[in-house]
Amino acid sequence: MMTKAADKIGTGTLYLAALCLLGVGPAMAAPDIPPDFDAGGEKIYQSYNATPPDYMAADSGNRNLMGFYELRQYPGSPPRIPHAVAQSFSDQPDNCLSCHAKGGYNAELDSFVPVTPHPENELCYQCHVPQRRQELLVETNWQSIKPPPLGRSFLAGAPPPIPHSLQLRDNCMACHTGAGAVTELRVEHAARGNCRQCHVPVISTEPRLEYVRTP
Amino acid sequence: MKFNRRSFIKGAATSSAIAAASAIFPGISFADWTKQEGASGMITWKKAPCRFCGTGCGVLIGVSGDRAVAVKGDPNCSVNKGLCCVKGYHSVQALYGKDRLTKAQVRRNGAMVEVPIKEALDIIAARMKETIARHGKDAVAMYGSGQWTIPDGYVASKLFKGCLGTNNLEANARLCMASAVTGFMTSFGLDEPMGCYEDIDHANVFVTWGNNMAEMHPVLFSRMLANRKRRNNVEIIDLATRTTRTSQAADKAILFRPQTDLAVANAICYEIIHNKWVNQDFLNNHVSFHKGKTNIGYGTEDHFAFTDTEEAISFADYQKFLEDYTPEKVEKISGVSARDIKYLASLYGDPTKKVTSFWCMGMNQHTRGTWIQNLVYNIHLLTGKISTPGNSPFSLTGQPSACGTVREVGTLTHALPHGVVTNDHDREMAAKIWEVPVSNIDPKPTYHTVEMFRALDRGDIKFMWIQVTNPMVTMPNLNRYRNGVLKDDRFIVVSEVYPTPTTDIADVILPAAMWVEQEGMFGNSERRTQHFARIVPPPGEAMSDTWQLIEVARRLGFEKQFPWSEDEHIGKIWEEYRRFHEGPKHNMAPYTVLLERPGVMWPFVDGKETRWRFNPKHDPACTNGKDFDFYGKKDNKAWIWARPYEPAAEAPDAEYNFWLNTGRVIEHFHTGSMTRRIPILHQAMPSSYVELNPEDAADLGVVNGEMVKIISRRGAVTMPASINGRGVPPRGMVFVPFFDDSYLINEVTLDAFCPISKQPDYKKCAVRLEKA
Repeated sequence: MMTKAADKIGTGTLYLAALCLLGVGPAMAAPDIPPDFDAGGEKIYQSYNATPPDYMAADSGNRNLMGFYELRQYPGSPPRIPHAVAQSFSDQPDNCLSCHAKGGYNAELDSFVPVTPHPENELCYQCHVPQRRQELLVETNWQSIKPPPLGRSFLAGAPPPIPHSLQLRDNCMACHTGAGAVTELRVEHAARGNCRQCHVPVISTEPRLEYVRTP
Repeated sequence: MKFNRRSFIKGAATSSAIAAASAIFPGISFADWTKQEGASGMITWKKAPCRFCGTGCGVLIGVSGDRAVAVKGDPNCSVNKGLCCVKGYHSVQALYGKDRLTKAQVRRNGAMVEVPIKEALDIIAARMKETIARHGKDAVAMYGSGQWTIPDGYVASKLFKGCLGTNNLEANARLCMASAVTGFMTSFGLDEPMGCYEDIDHANVFVTWGNNMAEMHPVLFSRMLANRKRRNNVEIIDLATRTTRTSQAADKAILFRPQTDLAVANAICYEIIHNKWVNQDFLNNHVSFHKGKTNIGYGTEDHFAFTDTEEAISFADYQKFLEDYTPEKVEKISGVSARDIKYLASLYGDPTKKVTSFWCMGMNQHTRGTWIQNLVYNIHLLTGKISTPGNSPFSLTGQPSACGTVREVGTLTHALPHGVVTNDHDREMAAKIWEVPVSNIDPKPTYHTVEMFRALDRGDIKFMWIQVTNPMVTMPNLNRYRNGVLKDDRFIVVSEVYPTPTTDIADVILPAAMWVEQEGMFGNSERRTQHFARIVPPPGEAMSDTWQLIEVARRLGFEKQFPWSEDEHIGKIWEEYRRFHEGPKHNMAPYTVLLERPGVMWPFVDGKETRWRFNPKHDPACTNGKDFDFYGKKDNKAWIWARPYEPAAEAPDAEYNFWLNTGRVIEHFHTGSMTRRIPILHQAMPSSYVELNPEDAADLGVVNGEMVKIISRRGAVTMPASINGRGVPPRGMVFVPFFDDSYLINEVTLDAFCPISKQPDYKKCAVRLEKA
């Protein structure tokens, strides 16, 4: 499962090379594994296999956590688009995915591109919209909670749990590795690959039920 | 004369500019939202259907303290499986606009003054009594909404039809779904789709008939795209009058001239028969042939009346009728090449392909709306592609409870919660359940929506109560109806959440609870009833529409019919309402089941949802022992109708030389009174525009953003041009989204309607353009 593309031969090489070109590509489960098995856990491996180690280890310092939350209305909301898009914003979906499926450097914006954790959803404008005006129609009383704190381990030195739900954000590699990642959210040991071996979702904004053993 | 809100909006714009300034300095705040004081950081998630369109996505609302603070898609809801659109994800922000109405207001000496809500309710009840005493029961009217909860609509029907005894009850779904209803009734004898959204996971071909699903039903559209990606045998054909985001994502986009979908549908049927692609077994067993009146008019004159007459015909008659619709003849009418018509017919006719047709306002808002529904059903009936997974003629809805509240509860002048007022048995059933004398229920329908506003203008109606809708933006030929409501002795009550052009003309404004500030149910496009609890408290004195109606009903002396306590009234109302639909054809889920699930489809029989009606493998109401049972009609058949192509009510001519088409955009829901108060949506789509074809724009000498005056025989609007934006109309057409009340495009539109459904056509009238 965890072999790099280069280690494979024959048709396997072609298949994985294609994945490399497409970035993560569609969530293709192995035969007999349902596409959403284990909250789409297979995506992590696909993404891992498709990301060159150098890119995975790179940090551009382009993006920080403040900028990350500025694009959001509450923790977990779909971020707005921070750059100009064509006035129509209607073209084929690969226009977004041509950059956001696999990341890399964008010369026009002089920036490393964040990678989407859900490239299988192609109708990008369904959830992500640009900002064409700053003013509001009327002021808002909207409030939301503080973003979840980072790195909160349960025991000293223990791996921190995943503070967000895995819904649409189940590909760790996409947001936590590479030059397009938010600096504060990058992991230094992405090469280990099997993220959920040590990190489990404990959604910090949701109430935790105390375990009570019923004999 | 009642006051105008324009000056208020100008003031609001200045103050919002100051608010925006704080957003320009990102260093000040860590993110773009105010952090809740003293919050634990914990969220509890509560289920609800989305507030906006008729898709009925399940959402989970994150609650912290007494505020809604986040949204995620409900992974347990089969409608959307955890995905929302940009409106849904930000829907809870619609609760928190600074100008929420929190107190009742009444007009005194021309100005609105705040009063305790109890006093406002007293005034409403007194005014209704007085109006009925002086002018008769048919001088009071209620105009509701497909955004009413089911209990809202149910108590309105009980009060107006059962207690007051007037059929002056209509809802804005008349402007949005009436042709879908008459289409179902004439073809199948029962309302609402036979299939469900699961059809998307089975179909090989999708045809979107005048339906920009990519923007209007994005969650369903992306499910189609995901299917196309996952399976290699799926294609999407867009059949439209203008190029949209849907056209761009489709495998093939076909443009037809406005109104000629009638001819195209008939040509597809001609080809299917001509090429012997008819499913003969299905036809012999399950279909009968009919025709109705032709040259049926457009309803633009007051007191217009029309009743169709049905006549049985033979298959040979039908075949002869179709001879006028060869692909070559229809190419001339529609502008669609004979080749493309044959291609469409070959997709519908291929027995190895499952075909789902989707439509919404393009076919509903149509002066021959009932006919075009019949004609698309004809295609599915000739090929037997119906009521099986993936084979589905699917009428989508635009409002969250157009089906649940308006079509199922029957909040239209002719309807009752079960059946129609003209039917003795249906009136008896209603009288029995409502515990009123059957003589209370008037057997004669009064006014459909357009005629109701005409009656208000004429003075036949003196009192109107408007809930959850904004007719002073949405009525076609708006100038006439606004002038009508502003006449001196008209009394208008408006229940609203924000100031709108409709609250501007109100004599009493009641602050309403919105969406999850009250308990209720919606019913979506696929017969799914979705319950939501009161998740956060309403602001100030805001009260649910249901409870407002109950309070007034009690003041009018109907305590016996409205006996419920505030704590349990929704559950009690649901169980009373459910009695109307008992039986395998329409049984609704019990209240306790609705509480548990993100939505339950009806007919809900023996603990099971019915996903495909008329199909005995799925539908327990089928009893004829055959492979299908179309039990809605007395002959147990689905009806094919011979319906001709007839032109639009008003087409471009030498003077008014453009078609005007109106509609929506993905960011905004309807008139924008909610979505324009959601920061990200307003910032993404701050104002409306007129889409022009680039060549027409060049002829007119306008470039992007320059102002264009759109003039019809009824009014004019000046607004900025959009050229090569997200939609591109063909030459000779302009398109305007209606969400922005700074540009009231309905002052320009025409109040012509389908004579059968009485639904107006917002997609076609003639205008001319001037560079402003």
